Order: sequence, then C-alpha cells, then structure tokens
Amino acid sequence: MSDAPSTIAPEFAGFFAALQERALAFPCCDTCARFHWYPMKACPHCRSSVISWRRIAGTGSLYSWTTVRHAFDPAWRDRLPYIVALVEFPDAPGVRLIANVAADPESLAIGMAVTPCFDDGVAIGKSGVTFVPAGNA
Amino acid sequence: MTKQAFIVGVGETPPTRRSSKDIRALAIDAIDAALADAGLPPTAIDGIVTDGLIMPNTVPHEYVTAQYGMDKRRFDGSISYGGTGIVCAPMIAKAAIDAGLAETVLCYFGVDWGTRASGPYGFHDLYPAKLAFEKPVGFNGQPSYFALWARRYMHEFGATEEDLAAIAIAQRSNALRNPRSQVKKPLDLEAYRASRMISDPLRAADCCVISDGVCAFIVTTGERARDLRQKPVKIMGCGFGTEPVSGDDIFTQRADLLRIPGAAAAAQQALRQADLTLGDVDFAEIYDCFTISCLMQIESMGFCGPGEAGPFVRERGTTVDGRLPINTHGGLLSYSYLLGAEHVIEAVRQLRGEAGAAQVADAQVGLVSGLSVPDYGVLLLGRPT
Ligand SMILES: [Zn+2]
Repeated sequence: MSDAPSTIAPEFAGFFAALQERALAFPCCDTCARFHWYPMKACPHCRSSVISWRRIAGTGSLYSWTTVRHAFDPAWRDRLPYIVALVEFPDAPGVRLIANVAADPESLAIGMAVTPCFDDGVAIGKSGVTFVPAGNA
Repeated sequence: MTKQAFIVGVGETPPTRRSSKDIRALAIDAIDAALADAGLPPTAIDGIVTDGLIMPNTVPHEYVTAQYGMDKRRFDGSISYGGTGIVCAPMIAKAAIDAGLAETVLCYFGVDWGTRASGPYGFHDLYPAKLAFEKPVGFNGQPSYFALWARRYMHEFGATEEDLAAIAIAQRSNALRNPRSQVKKPLDLEAYRASRMISDPLRAADCCVISDGVCAFIVTTGERARDLRQKPVKIMGCGFGTEPVSGDDIFTQRADLLRIPGAAAAAQQALRQADLTLGDVDFAEIYDCFTISCLMQIESMGFCGPGEAGPFVRERGTTVDGRLPINTHGGLLSYSYLLGAEHVIEAVRQLRGEAGAAQVADAQVGLVSGLSVPDYGVLLLGRPT
C-alpha cells in the first residue's frame, strides 16, 4: 500500500490513483503533449491547464542511484542499507522518478533496465512501488 | 555614478557542532563582534539585510532592531535564502546605499542545525512534492541528493573517487592551518578511503560538517569607512543567478543535472561589475556543501570545463599555497557549516591580511560564492588600498 501524505496537493492525486491500480502515470499536457514532473498547477512548457494523467508501460532505466547507509531520519535506521534511484522512462520523456530498487547494489549500472513491482513483499519504503532489475520481475 | 561600498566590520561565533547558546544569543555575539570590529555603535546601523527565509524565522530583523535599540533604522531588505542570501546581501546593501536609502547596513546569517532535532534534514519539508514522492522512499538527506549527482557525474565524465578526495584533502590541509576549525584531524587519500560511506559514492569526508553559529558583517560608504577602525574591504561586484526550476525539482528533474546555470550567470554579473576576469581572482571561497557540488561549481562558474574540475583542483593546487587557493579556512567540509556566511568573513580576513598561517600571499581579489539551489550568488571583494 502506498503511504501518501494525508494532505496532498490536488495536482498530485493522479499518481496515487494509478498506484492503487498497480500502474504508473505521469502528468502530460493535452495542449503541447509534453510530460512534466513533479506535478504543477499548469504545464510548465506552455502554461496550459488542461493536463491528463497518462499511464506508461512501466519499464525504465537507471539514470543514477545511491545506496543509503546512514539514517537521516531515525525511522529508516532498521532498513539500512537501501537503494534510492532515479528512473527514466522511454514513454515519458522528461520524467525522472525517485524510487527504491530491490537489488544487490553491486549488480546495478547506469542505464540498466528496471521494472516496477507493486507487491508489498519487495517494498523497501512506503511509496507503493519498488523497482527490480528487468528480468527479475 | 554609483557610490562605492565597503565591508568595515566582521564577527563570527566560534565554529562548533553544538553551542550552549541558542540562535538568537549567537546572533547577538556575532553582531557585537562585528560592531566592535568596525568601531561603530549599534545606533549607527540604519539598514538590515539577510536571507529571506531562514533568518526571518529564527532571528528576525525587528528582534535585532529592538535588542540593540536601532532607532535610526530606515531600510529593510532580504534576498534568496541560505548561502546565496548571505553572499548576495552586500548587493542589496550596496544598492540601498547607492539609492540613499541607508548608509550603514548590518548583514547576518547563521543556523542552529547542530542542536536542532531535524538538523539540516528538516529544511526540505517545505517542498510539497518532496514530501509526497521522496520522503516515502527514504530520499531524505542532502548527502543522498548529492550522491545521485556524484554517481551521474562519475559516469558521464569518468571522474573517480580521487577527484572527490582531492578537494576534501586540500581543504582539510587549509583547515589545519586554522586554530578555529571544527575538524582538526588530518586527511590523506588513505584516510579518505577509510572514511565512512554515507550515501555512496559520498563518504563522510565528502560531506560538510554540521554546526551552530552566526556570522555578521557591516557594509557602509567609502566616506564613512575612512573614519572607522578597520581597513575597508571593497565590494567590487556582486551577482545573483538562478534557473526556472522549482525547489521540488532541483535535485532530480533538471535536464542537465550536472550544470548550475545560476553559477555562470552570477559569476558573469559580478565580474562585469568589477571589470575583472576569473584570472584576476587570487583565492575563492566556494559553497562546498559536498565535494561534488564544489567541483560542479568550479566548472559552472567557468574556472574550467565540464568534467575537468578534479584534474583542475589537483593540477592548479587549491591549498593556501596553491595557484588557486579554495576555501582557505577549510570550508564547509572542515571549518564549519553556516551555509557559507563564514566564507564572507574569511574572505575579508584574507584581504585584510589577518589570516595568520592560512594567509594567501599578496591576496588582492577574493571570490565568494553561495549555492541555494536553484539560486546562486557570487561576491567579489578587493583588498583595502
Ligand atoms: Zn503544455
């Protein structure tokens, strides 16, 4: 289950609604057809306020990642070490999603394919989606 | 013709992780020291300028005005937040002096992030998208934000841990010349490699310290400066730059994550005002929150090309006796972490020739920079004539 903050901006809601259906979706402008992330009140490319949530296939690639070994928030102490990555998607250009990756850090490389997993079993954080190396899904 | 403006007094509290004093008491100590250094009574202050976010919430201008009975204050200004704010404060102070709105302006900045429960990590809670999308995956500490930049930087430019280590080691050597530095342990490549991994590839030695403290300085006219205790340090140029990216997006969404456009803009603006080039800079105090961000700023300001900062630091030499001394007090990595307010104080000290064992020989022009993503500030200061 996702653990979205109880009060989120209305323009954020589409992401969490898609997660409930085990899918990823990002805001895409109906006027200029470009994605943006994070969500804004109007399209930052053309200022249109007609924005739709577009579902994507899900498979992405690692833009960068880090293995976190220090608990900046004490609540994370018993989950150390854990991986946080920036994931890019071929069908959502301009979007980079911050996500946990369940994998051996030694096996990761920039550009490698990762797929989303919506099962609580592999979850590291409480975002509702964790990525795994493609082929391990 | 615009008037000239000078920094005529500086004060700082001693670098420390945890102070027994709260932030307002520290501010009073720093302001007392700056006033005493200048030889000015508090009632001479007719303007106050700070950053626009952190000081208004912790040591507001009206509190300082009341504490000191500054009954002639007629100017109030603020700019950006954190490091960019204090590095650009002289821009606002000088503009106020030019416009006849003030004559003697107090600038101050500090944090109590050494004792505050959430330390520096609570700061980004003011960004709604970070709260909604980043905290739930444990992306919640500045070292992790900059680790993503560092990994990508190493991938794109073939940089190595030696490139990161070079800046940390050089600055530690500078810090060891300074009896006030918060960190006093020597650092060589072996010690760097043994340093605890925090959020890889960044080790503890790549991360700034955490501190409690406040710095203050006073800006006034050339006419007024002549009668004061200290040799006046000239504000030669002061530039601000930014890019159209929100605080939510800054660490993850910028198309080119490895360039800081605000740094280029701010540096050009300051250099143009001063009629100088980067080649005229004798030493630089650069916002070194992390080794990686310091390297990226060296590139973005134009000291060298993209991906070249590691070799630049090693070949040019950035210790006090190097060809371009950087962070002569040890910087945020080794001296203290007051978000670069201490960088302004150190530059003034260098230009007055008061830096002791850390004195840069024949220092004429000092560059100070402040990063508060996406904002950037560059201040150029000149030796008293
Ligand atoms: Zn659009």
